[in-house]
Amino acid sequence: MDQNIMKEEYNDNNNTTGIGGFNFPGYQSGLSLVKTVLSNTLNTSNNVPQHVGFIMDGNRRYARKSGMRVSEGHEAGFFSMSRVLELCYASGVKTATVYAFSIENFKRSASEVDALMQLAHDRIRQLCENGELAHKYGVRVRVIGDISLLDKKLLEEISLTTKMTQYNTRATLNICFPYTGREEILHSMKDVITTTDGKDLNKIDESTLESHLYTGKLAPLDLLIRTSGVCRLSDFLIWQVVNRGTHIELIDCLWPEFGPAKMAWILLKYAFNKYFTPNEVDSEDVENNANATTESIDNSTILSEPENSSSSSSSVLLKKDSQQISPQPHGIRKEKLQ
Amino acid sequence: MSQLEEKTRSQASRAELATGSSSYEHVPPPVNATMKKASQTSKTELLKSIFDSMYVNDGNDQDGKKRIKEHIASDGGYKTREIGYFEYLFYKSLLVILFIIYGIFRYFQFQYNSLKLKIYNIYYNPINTPQLIRQDVTQLNKVPKRLAAILEVKPVGDVGGGVNGLLNDGSKLICWTVSAGIKHLTLYDYDGLLQKNVQQFREDIHIKLVKYYGPSNLPKFAIRIPHANKVYYNEMDENDSEDKKVVIEISLLSNRDGRETIVDLTKTMAELCGNDELKISDITMDLVDSELTQLVGNEPDLLLYFGPALDLQGYPPWHIRLTEFYWEPDNSAVTYSVFIRGLRNYAGAKMNVGK
Repeated sequence: MDQNIMKEEYNDNNNTTGIGGFNFPGYQSGLSLVKTVLSNTLNTSNNVPQHVGFIMDGNRRYARKSGMRVSEGHEAGFFSMSRVLELCYASGVKTATVYAFSIENFKRSASEVDALMQLAHDRIRQLCENGELAHKYGVRVRVIGDISLLDKKLLEEISLTTKMTQYNTRATLNICFPYTGREEILHSMKDVITTTDGKDLNKIDESTLESHLYTGKLAPLDLLIRTSGVCRLSDFLIWQVVNRGTHIELIDCLWPEFGPAKMAWILLKYAFNKYFTPNEVDSEDVENNANATTESIDNSTILSEPENSSSSSSSVLLKKDSQQISPQPHGIRKEKLQ
Repeated sequence: MSQLEEKTRSQASRAELATGSSSYEHVPPPVNATMKKASQTSKTELLKSIFDSMYVNDGNDQDGKKRIKEHIASDGGYKTREIGYFEYLFYKSLLVILFIIYGIFRYFQFQYNSLKLKIYNIYYNPINTPQLIRQDVTQLNKVPKRLAAILEVKPVGDVGGGVNGLLNDGSKLICWTVSAGIKHLTLYDYDGLLQKNVQQFREDIHIKLVKYYGPSNLPKFAIRIPHANKVYYNEMDENDSEDKKVVIEISLLSNRDGRETIVDLTKTMAELCGNDELKISDITMDLVDSELTQLVGNEPDLLLYFGPALDLQGYPPWHIRLTEFYWEPDNSAVTYSVFIRGLRNYAGAKMNVGK
């Protein structure tokens, strides 16, 4: 019974944040039919991004624009998120990572931070209740970031939710709460250092660090979506996004206005580009590349000498000489060698 | 903490020695030209790709490999079931229709964008005069302190292709940056071709600066290669290097300065921790940040990309935290209009860290 009430409330909110006030009979079911057909169509393209990241920007501006309280704006953002994620998972996206709260966000006013914490507390378990997102699409919910910064009540709720969904294997939802990309890299570095414990240092490489990130064992990021037309990462998934071939999509609308239709358009665009971008390097281009490299080798023969000297100087450093060579005169010396 | 920095550098060169090759010899990435083919450059190509899509779809139909559908069961949970051939065909043909619609839209979008770029290129045309650039920039109420740009090498056959084209693009950009009064410029190219050809690059910059400023009052510049820990100045064999006041400092970065440098730093720290010279609790955000700043440089305020769709191609991840990006859709040339429009866009952007 309790659940039903909650569901109704959810649907109500869904309507108010939806497009206008349409509510003639059959509208909702028609809409969901369109959604199903669209997601199945996208699914058959076999070119759906495996991992999508969202920067959900613009909730507060939306609230200001439509004369709501800030907390209501965040609420609207939450419903927008669940509708967008629903389409994503139905279309075959395996992992979604959402930027819910940055460590920097603690700088906001206390009342807003409290409201956000309350929202997280209320909604996180709702995600995996019967018939909701996590249950419907078999989503494993994870909360990533420096969760030690959260209070105890919220942590309990989080651990409960993650335990409830830990055996879902079809898809993953990462909620970044409170998260920054630099913290993630630092965390991974520390993890690697403690696990290696001074042994096998040569085995450390990019993939080691990557596997210790919060998103380590998941598919690499294919698509990053940021709303509200800002061209910045704001410290979100900085390690993952620099990969070659990661698409970055900036949309000039506020997050609560970003609905499934816009998401479907982006997924269509992604699939279209994937189809028509040759994955293999053309033989002609390989040749060109080879030409380019030989040319550059010719030019760099002059440089080879100083490079040797730098390696010999590094072997001096290896003896743990505390003698410090300041970088600038170092460079000048090499200049003169030439 | 410069000891840590030096050790990291030595760590890096040791790794190079171990592999018996210079770090520059990376596995060549897919050449950018192939990426650019994503944007259809002509009507025929576009049509071809749409017909290709039908062909590809047919091929997939015959494979019939992914004919499963996620089905919401009555209890609200999900399960998968095989979908029928006709249902599959229906979705596939719908997909083709959607692709055609998108293709037509994309065609007009591409034409619109290229027309826009042409107009901008006529409108913003500095013709080697620093005064005009200066004028454009003084109108702005905010100019980035540090500018970065990702450059790409184009196929040798193209106009402005090959290494020479890359060096030319780089030196053009440097002239604009000097004229705009920005003191720090970071040039990034994936393969480190700029670093490898630094001598030729110096000459190129010299020639370009003469074009802009005349031979008598050449601005002084310094080229820094953080990975090799080297600094180069204007003239080739100048003795009075005491006078280090430069108008612009140029850093050349490559893929090597990105994730791999973070790996090197981790190795060094792991070694120090193993020898009890460093405690794990001492590794803080500030320490890592200051080390990476020394090893790679500072975070730029604005990053320009001169390709059709933003691709960061391994740019040092630590250094793009709050960096503003700018690129023009469907553009593939290093032009002044992109540069000045990037600066304008930056001047209009509002920055609020976390707030």
